[in-house]
Amino acid sequence: MERYSVQRAMIEFKNVHKWFGDLHVLKDINLEVAQAEVMVVCGPSGSGKSTLIRSINRLEPIQKGELVVDAMKVHDPKTNMTKLRAEIGFVFQQFNLYPHMTALQNVTLAPMKVRKIARKEADDMGRYSLEKVGLGDKLHQYPAQLSGGQQQRVAIARGLCMRPKIMLFDEPTSALDPEMINEVLEVMRNLAREGMTMIVVTHEMGFAREVSHRVAFMDFGELTEIAPPGEFFSHPKSERTKLFLSKILTH
Amino acid sequence: MWGFYIEQLMHSLPFFLKGLWMTIAVSGISLVVGTLLGFLWGIIRSSQNRTLKALVGAWVDIIRGTPFLVQVFIIFFILPEFGIQLEAFPAAVIALTNLAACFICEIVVAGIQAVPWGQREAAISTGLNWYQQLRNVIMPQAMRVILPPLVGQYVLLIKDSSVVSAIGVVDVTRVGWLTVQRVPQGLLVFGLVALLYFIICYPLIQLSNSLEKRMSSGYTRGKV
Ligand SMILES: Nc1ncnc2c1ncn2[C@@H]1O[C@H](COP(=O)(O)OP(=O)(O)O)[C@@H](O)[C@H]1O
Ligand SMILES: [Mg+2]
Repeated sequence: MERYSVQRAMIEFKNVHKWFGDLHVLKDINLEVAQAEVMVVCGPSGSGKSTLIRSINRLEPIQKGELVVDAMKVHDPKTNMTKLRAEIGFVFQQFNLYPHMTALQNVTLAPMKVRKIARKEADDMGRYSLEKVGLGDKLHQYPAQLSGGQQQRVAIARGLCMRPKIMLFDEPTSALDPEMINEVLEVMRNLAREGMTMIVVTHEMGFAREVSHRVAFMDFGELTEIAPPGEFFSHPKSERTKLFLSKILTH
Repeated sequence: MWGFYIEQLMHSLPFFLKGLWMTIAVSGISLVVGTLLGFLWGIIRSSQNRTLKALVGAWVDIIRGTPFLVQVFIIFFILPEFGIQLEAFPAAVIALTNLAACFICEIVVAGIQAVPWGQREAAISTGLNWYQQLRNVIMPQAMRVILPPLVGQYVLLIKDSSVVSAIGVVDVTRVGWLTVQRVPQGLLVFGLVALLYFIICYPLIQLSNSLEKRMSSGYTRGKV
């Protein structure tokens, strides 16, 4: 598939460190993600992948180093995160939809409250976002009435409805039944095609191969290998990467 | 024999109704104000502010860990030693409001904790501020956990209000005490007192039960 051309840095980690108590979870992370770049992050469980992308919108604050996102200093406690968070859509493994709201309400809450958009216009935007993820007919369903794949697509639409510059995905298909994985990946493929800047933590290597510009391997809190997918899969440099790939590719 | 006493009791009925009104007034004011304060404290207890959290937590523990009668005595008999003179009625209302706030605080904390952390993270990630998270995401879900025990707590507090008769508030219980001195039929007199409390409390017990059922069902169209 055609890949969007890569431009200026949208996300920049410089010597970033993070600890949970004594546990050193991010060790000297250096990473630049360009505008319109799609980066896939993989690695063993507990290696720090979630912490890495959660630090980008300061769901997890970092303790050392510099982290600049869309020209805003996330490492600086004085930075007002509300504005930045409005620019970043975040999709969780467990969807985290608001169970007491319909799909449309889930999607329009933040545009109305954070962007102060009037209900009518927000509803139009919400309808558009939900149509975009193929759920134009589920506007008034509650999450409990939707399948896992549909719920995750609503969650993506919730992020998109804020017209974000960046979308972050933390294992978006790991909680899904296998037959629902593809409908979610399809939505993400379309986003990539449109030039969304994306970091995707996933073990869906087909998606990585097909869509991403670069694949990163995370191990014990370090980004040990970053390469374009062709190179990453055919010539992994380290033994750990090889071992990891052999495990997940045979599954 | 009983007929005679029942007739005498009937004569005292207006007195009982006045007492009932007093019980409703003391409990009503205390429950309304106590609910507001209890939610405020519960929200503070669930917040990130360590100092405020600790202060509210300590106060709630003290109040929950001491007898209500003693709290009423302290407010009514001991505060005047420090120059704060209170009539029986405001003293009763203050004591019961405070008690209500402390118990309701704990119910609110439990309700907020029952909302999965992921809900807050989703709200944070979309840029909602603290108040917007609470108002739109956390509290609507917490209310389902809070409401049934909250109404149950109202029943307990209305019954606890009988304690304020000890400082001379003429509520239903006090009316019972005063009446039994003229009509020496304790069973009859306090049977009536009990009946009056029951009449207020029973609908609330029913409400609490039905809320319990309603709130434990899932979220779908048309429901809370
Ligand atoms: N809130 C937390 N408190 C303490 N330790 C945590 C917390 N979140 C994650 N960790 C630990 O940090 C390490 C990295 O976690 P995580 O980023 O979730 O890894 P991954 O997403 O790659 O599985 C793990 O050892 C995990 O147990
Ligand atoms: Mg993870």
